[in-house]
Amino acid sequence: MELEQALAKYFGYTTFRPGQREVIEAILQEKDVIALLPTGMGKSLCYQLSGYILQKPVLIVSPLLSLMQDQVEELKRFGEKRVVALNSFLTITEKRYAMHFLEQYRFIFTSPEMLLQPQVQEKLSQIKLGLIVVDEAHCISQWGFDFRPDYLRIGQWFSQVNRPPVLALSATATEKVVKDISKTLSLNNPFEFMYDVDRPNIHIGRVTFEDKADKAQWILQHIKKTAGPGILYLSSRKRAEQYCEVLIQAGIRTAAYHAGHGAEDRQFIQQQFIDGELDWIVATNAFGMGINKPDIRQIIHETMPANVENYMQEIGRAGRDGQPAIAILLYSEGDEELAKFVVTGDLPTSGHVERYQELLNQHLQPSQMLKNGELSETAYRVLDFWLQQESVEQVKARLNQLAVEKYRAVDEMKKVTQTKDCIRAQLVGYFGQKLQKKPENCCENCGIHYDEINKVRLEEERKIEMISWESRLKLLLMGI
Amino acid sequence: MFHQILLQIFQKLNNERTISAAYHILRGKRSGQTIQDIGLFQLHPFFGLLAKLPRPTFDNAVKLFSQYSWLDMQESGHYSLKKLGLQRAEQTPTFLFDGWHYRGNEHIFFARLSLIVQSLSYQNAGARSFSPISRDVTIQSWVRSFLLKHNYQDRHLQEQLLVECERALAELPQADPNKQLVLYRLSGHNLPGWTWQQLASERKEAVLDSQLAFIELLHTLLNEVHQKGYPLLSEIAEGLRVKALITDSAQQTAYLYEQGYSIEQIVQIRKLKQSTIEDHLVELAMYEPNFSIGSFVSYEEAEKVWQASKQYQTKKLKTLHEVVEGMSYFQLKLILAKGEV
Repeated sequence: MELEQALAKYFGYTTFRPGQREVIEAILQEKDVIALLPTGMGKSLCYQLSGYILQKPVLIVSPLLSLMQDQVEELKRFGEKRVVALNSFLTITEKRYAMHFLEQYRFIFTSPEMLLQPQVQEKLSQIKLGLIVVDEAHCISQWGFDFRPDYLRIGQWFSQVNRPPVLALSATATEKVVKDISKTLSLNNPFEFMYDVDRPNIHIGRVTFEDKADKAQWILQHIKKTAGPGILYLSSRKRAEQYCEVLIQAGIRTAAYHAGHGAEDRQFIQQQFIDGELDWIVATNAFGMGINKPDIRQIIHETMPANVENYMQEIGRAGRDGQPAIAILLYSEGDEELAKFVVTGDLPTSGHVERYQELLNQHLQPSQMLKNGELSETAYRVLDFWLQQESVEQVKARLNQLAVEKYRAVDEMKKVTQTKDCIRAQLVGYFGQKLQKKPENCCENCGIHYDEINKVRLEEERKIEMISWESRLKLLLMGI
Repeated sequence: MFHQILLQIFQKLNNERTISAAYHILRGKRSGQTIQDIGLFQLHPFFGLLAKLPRPTFDNAVKLFSQYSWLDMQESGHYSLKKLGLQRAEQTPTFLFDGWHYRGNEHIFFARLSLIVQSLSYQNAGARSFSPISRDVTIQSWVRSFLLKHNYQDRHLQEQLLVECERALAELPQADPNKQLVLYRLSGHNLPGWTWQQLASERKEAVLDSQLAFIELLHTLLNEVHQKGYPLLSEIAEGLRVKALITDSAQQTAYLYEQGYSIEQIVQIRKLKQSTIEDHLVELAMYEPNFSIGSFVSYEEAEKVWQASKQYQTKKLKTLHEVVEGMSYFQLKLILAKGEV
């Protein structure tokens, strides 16, 4: 069957998005593949369609439970019933049932932790899988910003079993990380596909301030004058809340969005934003969100993110509809210090290393460090993984190296804030690509007319008023 | 509202416990001590209202109280309400919480209801896919079978649920803004819910206070549903009202005790401390009307203890132990738990 026919049959689409065809063809030729595709650009279709064509179960390893749940639900929405998520949410009975019928599922999602359980490994080795997918593969790389030690152990498992092709997926990775992925997963001369990182309809502005305090004033004025919808990125929850308050006071329909809110509240904000009840979302850099709104016109970074990958991912949320959008990066001297402080704040220190060893020597559980809140979960994972393999001194050296790498990533981002050449070319170059063509209003250094891109904000957006409980109840249940 | 609740709890605890006792009550701690405090000081409404209340939030409120001169803090962690605090406590309204019977399960009720309403709303709009407001798989599968059972596709369910919700909410004594609050935590197609922050700023109060008003409304709604006939809402509330009022562990002790084993034997069998087994019996005395404390204390002794309690205006064991001679702490606890003779 032609690939297009299969696409129409299983998904009702007529054309592939960039990269999908190349990736699927390589999989069908039983090649290992590393595919870098941005979020929201049909990453998951690559393995879904392959699964239907291969007619063998596909194993998908996904590090984030929430992401896994999203993908499972997406498949179910398309009417696929033979999908299961093997994770810690399952009850013992559910897990036993799923394990028993495992070979009958078409898509088996699992977490790295679950995959390390001997009984899961044994069962999987008895099944003839058609494809193994490693999602968010950049988590494998210790140089990545979201290192997951369990992913390294999967690499060890891969090299043991007689395995089907592996598809490593990521939205963001540099050449160095790609090499790391290939090596750690023992990939066999993989086919690499990388999307064009340049987004010509996103214009890249940059404003430098002498004084940090001037930023707040600039942001307020800018947002008052120009139209959204937009996202304002900040470095901390507290600052996000403060800015949100200021904007609301100024009559701008705004909500703060960060990990401190409950899941329902986050969904309410997303929905309000998508439905046009909010014009601005104030978010923290650290927090990835699943917002899929095609008409975001502006992204403002109050301060620089920790690395270029994050920056590209964050500005990439703008202009998904192909219409012009603008990203403005604000900078004042010393911003990199804050970024460095934030990125290493999460790393275990040499003090943590010693404490871990001390607890071990006293025959106590090092995990109590986590319970006492002495360090974050990610930090503990890293510590726990390395101290089981290496000496205290080696781990300390490794952590230092990790900090140095994170600093280096911040410095790379700082270059973006300082360059006098084309910012777009520099960003694209960071990912090992070459800029093909400069669009009009390319970037701050090439020349940019803000008023050609930013629309004037219409004053007095309709404020949403509450209606009576009786009316809302009717509206919810009867639609009238 | 949070402050008023705290004041009421402190008032009822009668300066006889540490401030932490109030914290444990709000968090719904299932220890013998907290369960006994609930019965002794009649604090059932407040049990487990805020299962995730962070300690700093609680401590800040207490600090504020002492700044306002509402109470004095002692080194031991005990407190005493001052005149101003007592006055303020007297001015607080009567709340309609029923923490004792729901213990946080009201959130399960609301999660089910939210997902049902969301599904029906998208169904009305003809939209087949949406991201479910509840990620909890047990809630999802519960709602799925509920919807299938009631043939959700023929619109009859929407109508019936509307009628029941309208009727039940209309019966509740709360003011309209509180009913509105609950409706704005529900969402549907093109009808996003409001965040706690948005609701609190609209209501001009703290987020925690909005959340408490929400819980209070759910408690009264659940009790309304429990008492009168609402077929759909009763089903959604199924299994959420706590029936066994004593802890599982106390239940096991009760079983052995009824079989005729002595406290010492039960200690051996269950491999628990004697004090724990004694706490179980105290729990029984409090919540099992048929449980007699006659084998541990005489009627006269009980009467003496209650007289002393009244005379000295206290339920403090230490004081009672001093003024009523020859009684163990266990006996005193039993007598107080069983209630006035």
